[in-house]
Amino acid sequence: MITPQIHTSDLEHKDECIAFERVSFSYQGGDNILKNLSFSLKQGSLNFVTGPSGAGKTSLLKLMYLHMRPKSGQINVFGQNTGMLDLLQIPPLKRRMGVVLQDFSLVDHLNVFENIVLPLRVTATPRADYVQDAISLLQWVGLGDHMAAMPETLSGGQAQRAAIARAIISKPDILIADEPTGNVDHNIGQRLIRLFVELNRLGTTVIIATHDTKLIPADATILRLNNGTLLQERMQS
Amino acid sequence: MNQNSLPLAKPQPILPIDKPKDSPLFVVLAILAFLATLTLLSLSASYRSSAHWSAGLTDTATIQIKPTSLTDEQEQPIKARDILLTFKSVKHVDILSKDHSQKLLRPWLGDTPLPDALALPILLHVTLHADQKLNVRELATRYEQLGIRADIDDHSHWRKNLESRARAIQILSILAFLSISIAIIAACVFATHAGITTQKTLMNVLHQIGTPPQYTARLFSTRFALNAFLAGCFGALAAFVLLFIFSMFFKISGTNIFFLPEFTFGLKNLYLSALVPLFMALISGLATWQIVMKSLLSEMYP
Ligand SMILES: Nc1ncnc2c1ncn2[C@@H]1O[C@H](COP(=O)(O)OP(=O)(O)OP(=O)(O)O)[C@@H](O)[C@H]1O
Ligand SMILES: [Mg+2]
Repeated sequence: MITPQIHTSDLEHKDECIAFERVSFSYQGGDNILKNLSFSLKQGSLNFVTGPSGAGKTSLLKLMYLHMRPKSGQINVFGQNTGMLDLLQIPPLKRRMGVVLQDFSLVDHLNVFENIVLPLRVTATPRADYVQDAISLLQWVGLGDHMAAMPETLSGGQAQRAAIARAIISKPDILIADEPTGNVDHNIGQRLIRLFVELNRLGTTVIIATHDTKLIPADATILRLNNGTLLQERMQS
Repeated sequence: MNQNSLPLAKPQPILPIDKPKDSPLFVVLAILAFLATLTLLSLSASYRSSAHWSAGLTDTATIQIKPTSLTDEQEQPIKARDILLTFKSVKHVDILSKDHSQKLLRPWLGDTPLPDALALPILLHVTLHADQKLNVRELATRYEQLGIRADIDDHSHWRKNLESRARAIQILSILAFLSISIAIIAACVFATHAGITTQKTLMNVLHQIGTPPQYTARLFSTRFALNAFLAGCFGALAAFVLLFIFSMFFKISGTNIFFLPEFTFGLKNLYLSALVPLFMALISGLATWQIVMKSLLSEMYP
């Protein structure tokens, strides 16, 4: 049911949400970290980016969530060529993507509840419209008892789940997570993956970078990076 | 659920209200506001004082009759007054009594009683109609024809002197006010950069979740404008109270300081003082908006 889109030709798919065309990237005058990558990810797909440390997984994700521009090539997000966008068109596009970073990036002066509803507050959503949803979401990720907790009092796994809750509170079309299981033991790692799979079942395109290939579910698309090139891709059914 | 909904009732401010961290800059802004208010109030006081002096000096003149004999001493002041009253510009003439004249001469002559036979200069105090000038030259010719020896002083020399001094003080006050304003702008810009740096994580998170840049800019600029306003209120109030105490003190002791005599606890001064915090809030808000927007756009999609 999910087909990998790892080719440059026939990019006329209406249901693709991220497409790379001959994308290369380097950090400030260095060698290319990512070399001539072309692939596309379908809407509603479950994707894993794997590869050894330093392969460029984080860099690839950063290009996807518009944190930085490619040195060459073209990136389309939701069918829009990101290189042609006006700067003020970037935030609305970003609001359609939930991002979980390796360091969680929780705001330390806001409690868990306020941290996760931040994406709604900044778009001036009335509080009454989201309080109940936010409470349910926190219960779903297992933080029902920690809504008023400050981030510094959370364990790594709890902080991870708070960051995930914040990434999905505004029901984004894409969820991007960088090493979401990096700071937790295998058990919690599996629970988190189940959470992502469940989210994907609800229609969200999920892109996860991980070292841990054992956690990858059987039906996921895999983008295997090595030395900046896409070595192998796999789809299991 | 009760326990959980407890912190949810009131949203936490996205930008933390962090008094201790803000306080050094708060103090700097308050001091600048204090100085700005002092210069602004003394500027306005000096404008009013100089207008007051000029008015007081332009519509008066002093004439000193120097009689050569005792009979002259009786007649000449009356003659001199009668001639003065033929001038259209003259409203009223007072012949100061001998006692009064003596009193004025005491600093030069000391307390020793003067011999009655000594002819003393007699002073005439002339009040002019508003906005009219005494024709000094014509008066001098008429006195000469009648053999009256007189010094005519229409205060123009003294007035010019005072006016140029007042103008110098006003220019200095304006320069002081301008440089304090520049310092206020610099302090606001510095405060914004410091604020952005201490809130780097928050800025990054807001950026990453796709916050509209206008939202972030408004968040910072309203906070900094409010801070600047509060600091401005402290400084302006302190300056206002200080000047009020000063002016009360000089009123009671009877001394006058060049720029203070006109300072009163009036509404006009209160409005002027209120301008300072409003100005600071405006400057701070605009500077913050500008800086935050610029920094957000430069990092939007590098
Ligand atoms: N900000 C940066 N400036 C310069 N070079 C960088 C920067 N970030 C990463 N690199 C380099 O780019 C390469 C790819 O890094 P990246 O973080 O994308 O790898 P990764 O696959 O995510 O590694 P890991 O599994 O350890 O997280 C590495 O060689 C790294 O040293
Ligand atoms: Mg990485």
